[in-house]
Amino acid sequence: MRELRTDALDAGYDGVALVSGIELAARPGKIVALVGPNGAGKSTILRTLAGTLAPVKGVVLFDGAELTKMKLSERAKALAVMTTRRADAEYATCYDVVGVGRYQFTGIFGRLGESDARAIDDALRLVGAFELRDADFSRLSDGQKQRVLLARALVQEPEIMLLDEPTSYLDVGGKLDFVATLKKLARERGIGVVAALHELELVRTVADEVVCVTKDGRIDRTGTVAEIFQSEYLKKLFDARSDAFDTTYGFMTPSGPQRANASPRVCVGNRSSRVKRLMVQGTMSSAGKSLIVAGLCRILRQDGFRVAPFKSQNMALNSFVTEDGLEMGRAQVMQAEACGIKPSVLMNPILLKPTDDCGSQVIVNGAVVGNMRAREYFEYKTRLTPTILSAVEKLGETSDVIVLEGAGSPAEINLKRNDIVNMGMARLVDAPVLLVGDIDRGGVFAQLLGTLELLEPDERARVKGLIVNKFRGDKTILDPGVAELEKRGGVPVAGVIPYMTLTLADEDSLTERFERRGRGLVNIGVVQLSHLSNFTDFDVFEQVKGVAVTYVKRPEETRGFDLLILPGSKNTIADVRRLRESGFESAIRAYAESGAPVIGVCGGFQALGETIADPDGVEGGGSIAGLGLLPVATTLRTQKRRRQTTGSFVAPDGPLASLAGLEFSGYEIHMGETVATRAGTSEFTSGATGLCRGNVYGTYVHGVFDGESVVKTLIATLASRKGVAVDLDGVVDYRTLREREYDRLAATMREHLNMALIYDALGVERHD
Amino acid sequence: MKRREVVLYAILVALVSTLALLNLASGSAKLTLSETSRVLFSHDVSSVEGAIVWNIRTPRMVAAALLGGALALSGYLLQAFFVNPIAGPYVLGISSGAKLVVATLLVASCRYGFALHSSMMVSAAFVGATIATTLVILVARKVRNMAILIVCGVMIGYVCSAATELIVAFADDSNIVNLHNWSLGSFSAISWDDLRCLVPVVVVGSCSVFFLSKGIRAYLYGEEYAQSVGINLPVFRLLLVVGSSLLSATVTAFAGPISFIGIAAPHVTRRAFRTSEPGTMMAGSFLVGAAFCLLSDWLARRLFAPKELSVSTITAIIGAPIVLSMLLERKGGRRA
Repeated sequence: MRELRTDALDAGYDGVALVSGIELAARPGKIVALVGPNGAGKSTILRTLAGTLAPVKGVVLFDGAELTKMKLSERAKALAVMTTRRADAEYATCYDVVGVGRYQFTGIFGRLGESDARAIDDALRLVGAFELRDADFSRLSDGQKQRVLLARALVQEPEIMLLDEPTSYLDVGGKLDFVATLKKLARERGIGVVAALHELELVRTVADEVVCVTKDGRIDRTGTVAEIFQSEYLKKLFDARSDAFDTTYGFMTPSGPQRANASPRVCVGNRSSRVKRLMVQGTMSSAGKSLIVAGLCRILRQDGFRVAPFKSQNMALNSFVTEDGLEMGRAQVMQAEACGIKPSVLMNPILLKPTDDCGSQVIVNGAVVGNMRAREYFEYKTRLTPTILSAVEKLGETSDVIVLEGAGSPAEINLKRNDIVNMGMARLVDAPVLLVGDIDRGGVFAQLLGTLELLEPDERARVKGLIVNKFRGDKTILDPGVAELEKRGGVPVAGVIPYMTLTLADEDSLTERFERRGRGLVNIGVVQLSHLSNFTDFDVFEQVKGVAVTYVKRPEETRGFDLLILPGSKNTIADVRRLRESGFESAIRAYAESGAPVIGVCGGFQALGETIADPDGVEGGGSIAGLGLLPVATTLRTQKRRRQTTGSFVAPDGPLASLAGLEFSGYEIHMGETVATRAGTSEFTSGATGLCRGNVYGTYVHGVFDGESVVKTLIATLASRKGVAVDLDGVVDYRTLREREYDRLAATMREHLNMALIYDALGVERHD
Repeated sequence: MKRREVVLYAILVALVSTLALLNLASGSAKLTLSETSRVLFSHDVSSVEGAIVWNIRTPRMVAAALLGGALALSGYLLQAFFVNPIAGPYVLGISSGAKLVVATLLVASCRYGFALHSSMMVSAAFVGATIATTLVILVARKVRNMAILIVCGVMIGYVCSAATELIVAFADDSNIVNLHNWSLGSFSAISWDDLRCLVPVVVVGSCSVFFLSKGIRAYLYGEEYAQSVGINLPVFRLLLVVGSSLLSATVTAFAGPISFIGIAAPHVTRRAFRTSEPGTMMAGSFLVGAAFCLLSDWLARRLFAPKELSVSTITAIIGAPIVLSMLLERKGGRRA
């Protein structure tokens, strides 16, 4: 691949330079954006680069040779031009229009041969317009036309493409769509691109290099996005009053607060070019998207792909905090687990935590941006597109497939504008879509058909399969409906998935778990702290039949448990204060005095001690007296301790003495040090991670109960203390349990889904 | 080839043949169709009927068909050149330009007494057509507006007509009658001799412009685009102008300025074939133009027989409504 560059070039008409001192280079696979106010001469530069306008001074060099001296046919094979000048030939199909681009490859009458037909089809496919092949060009939407014109430039098989405001007639979705395609082309075909772009936000998204042309016809700056995108500079360049600024750039307001990471350098690597994308959308919230994504992730992983989940925006109260202290949605954590990878905020760059009926705390890339009203956010979110794209991009660096999850329904026609979660997202990354309906809540055919009906034609074309989820009963009864659905919807049904009960934490099952009030043979109570963290510590108990785990909200509910657990907390001092004020403290003391076991994990361990001091102000400073059940004192440190731990239970006395000697494996995340204040404590967990006295136990280790023998022993001990028998057959450690659940999910989905269809939509060859 | 094209070509060929036969069979001497065909196949020139059919009607028919086709092609090329569907040799004043120079030549020949050969007529018309076209192109450089371009063409036509009138004023009375008949458009005076010049020019000219079809295909999407795919624009434009001038000049030289075929025939072709493909447009326009011209000539002779109307009268009556409907349709259904 060769490069196009200028040398001391002045461009203009009739010997008068409009822009002078042009120094730029178009290199294979790189996108150069020309920006500047109207009339600055961007089109003139492009014409000169294309060789259709002679330079006023200086030269344009292609592969070292002067462009004006090249043979026209050679030049046309090297450079392709796409302009916005729209002359429609009547009755021409898209195939015809694109075929014109084969000028240099056809004979004297321009008849298109077989290889031309192939090139045309390929180009149409590449720009995602193959289904428009035989459509009348003049009847297409602007966005579709632009795609076809791009394909027309592509069939020239150029090394460099020159685009003059290719997005100017498009709506927001169309613009994003278009630049995504452009990026793909640059990457996959190694085509060098020079584009005059009007919308700075698009420039920010696609450009590898930005060339700024000033009003008085100079090349003022050339640099990367990061170098150019300083709002002060851009203001100067455009010489804009703020109002004119907004109208010129439409939805894209380049001013205002921007997170540093919101201006990504687009990485143009061959790696990510092979990343396949698949999106799962639902007809309504809780249609079971999260689990279907998890199941697909697991299936793909089993088939040898490196998979990552993605959901652009989550709305949930309960978030997961990553090792780096960043917040993200729980569903993606679960899906990441199904993929066998570590959760990362890249998988869920936007998290909304509702604060009241019409406002939310907005969290971007794991960190809080601020509180916004719904309407405010609706405007703000348009700026998040680059953040979303860069997250997908980064995920792609380590994955073969990204499975995306939509939110709510894609057919919320009042919210369609600037959508970044459903079809807008699918379009952004050019993902095929599977649409999931929930038969359990009834009306599944209406859900699916109605949703299809409300989609725009191009969105509808993205839907490659329908899924009926949560089906109970005899599938043969459903079959006629499925056939009718396929006929009317024009989209194949990829499968009918039966209703499944799984012990996999996700945002929906979590809320349900908090409300659970059943009683079993053995009852475990978990004090629900307001800053509760790491719920998963106790999931392992739920697999045992006869064991009930209850989250305790009120002090009077503390009685009658066979084991009381104080879980981890994100803010121990605040939670201890709450326990004291709400009367929980005395209830827990009373419970401990009854001789039944109390276990504190991490923050819970700290709370059980005598004092918690915060000299460095980690949790707001000061110090507070603990519940005083363990003679230990905690000092919070700024240094966070974060590590995987393996060890054993050393010398627990009291009711849980049977745990002695058992091995555990878990992890520590805490910011405190806890030491014994007096004699009389013994080591509970090894490695100075836990202490106990009598029936009160404390440990810093999360997941300490997850081991198979630990669960079995603990439950058996509690059962025998109470004099009941619990069936412990088939109880496994937590990790195995979850892995087994993912595999079960995957197996069920494999059985009921037409995987060939899904692989086909995904566009991958199965390596069977 | 698509089904639609095959069917349409078949219909057009049948139509042209039928009209050709009809033309041979009609005129002031009453001949039935069977008599005509008998004379045709026997190739008997000695009889009166044979002489009428072979020496008078056949050249006229062949000229009408070929010139009609040439006119339609010329119109199509101009429409492509100006990216304007109502461009044509008549409205742009190109026919009038040709007429001016031919008239000058006619008057000069009478005054200075030299014999005119049809090739001289063609050359004169070509010179006139080229001058007029050049003028229109110069205007087109200044104005980008289609309507104004057409108005300018009409103006150039008027100027040429006025100049022709001026020249005619200095001509002899007998010449004036000839000139008048000629300038209204008529195929009546065409002989085998004329055909010897006309046929090669039209056939070669029409066939050569097919080589421009590939370029036109790209040119339809704009000059700049055409350049970017590697078309040598000055050369291509020159070829377009020369091609269309040559074709319209030939028509003018032999039959005088004939209106509307140049616009109506390509339009009808585009609608019927539902295509913009230059190859199809050219072939289709040629056939439609030929049929149109044959029909007009036949009507011109038959309508008020034995009085013969000028061909332009008929082409205007049929063609103008077609062009008008096209204008209205474009205005109504204009795409942004």
